[in-house]
Amino acid sequence: MTEVVATIAFWVFAITAVVGALGVVWAKRVFHSAMFLTVALGSTAAIYVLLSADFLAAVQILVYTGAVVILVLFAIMLTPQSVELPTFAPGGQQLGGVIVALALLALMIAAITNQPWPLAAQPLDQPTSFGLGQGLLTTYLFPFELASLVLLVAMIGAILLARED
Amino acid sequence: MPGLNQFLILGAIIFCIGIYGALSRRNVVVLLMALELMLNGVNITLVAFNRFLTPPAGVSSSPFAGQMFALFVIAVAAAEAALGLAIVIAVYRVRHTVQVDQIDALRG
Repeated sequence: MTEVVATIAFWVFAITAVVGALGVVWAKRVFHSAMFLTVALGSTAAIYVLLSADFLAAVQILVYTGAVVILVLFAIMLTPQSVELPTFAPGGQQLGGVIVALALLALMIAAITNQPWPLAAQPLDQPTSFGLGQGLLTTYLFPFELASLVLLVAMIGAILLARED
Repeated sequence: MPGLNQFLILGAIIFCIGIYGALSRRNVVVLLMALELMLNGVNITLVAFNRFLTPPAGVSSSPFAGQMFALFVIAVAAAEAALGLAIVIAVYRVRHTVQVDQIDALRG
């Protein structure tokens, strides 16, 4: 029963994520792109739940669909979009983009399906918060402190860059 | 229950849509959103690896190394989004445009 539910949930959220991602790229107005981005990132959070990454799913909702989308909306509202300009690249570059993306996708799918992955006997399904917290304060202590420094520098830099003077 | 390959292919599809967006759109804000999509595809891949693969013995003491990577990717992506959008606002103030075709002062 849970298998069936998990399979259905995977396909539903995978399709929503892909549709949201395509919406980001294809939407004519930037604001609609931002709304589609919310859909894509929210579906990704659901995919994390299916991968039994509960903590990451919460972080995804808080940081991405919360903070990053709000930041993007602020940027959209602070920079009035001129409607008469073309929002898409000229046809040739558009075609080039499609070809590059499809070629890369074919390459990656071929690599994924041909690789004999050393699968674990049992998928890792345990609560993650304890393990992640312990890891952040032991093995990954230095990257953790570095990440806080990166965020601090980014915050100060963003204030300096966007300040009016 | 979908296996490792389905999740990896989903990550690859989202990554490639992000690349297509980054190459074909002309608005800096949309370019940044496409970048976020690419990072999301990578994160799905990392978390899927974490769930389905066994790390080689002795390499990592934490069973959640893949999720830890994804966590750091999210942290750096948040910093990147904040800085990128601050640059967009600063450029808009000077050039009054957010179209990458018109921000070409450094073009050789």
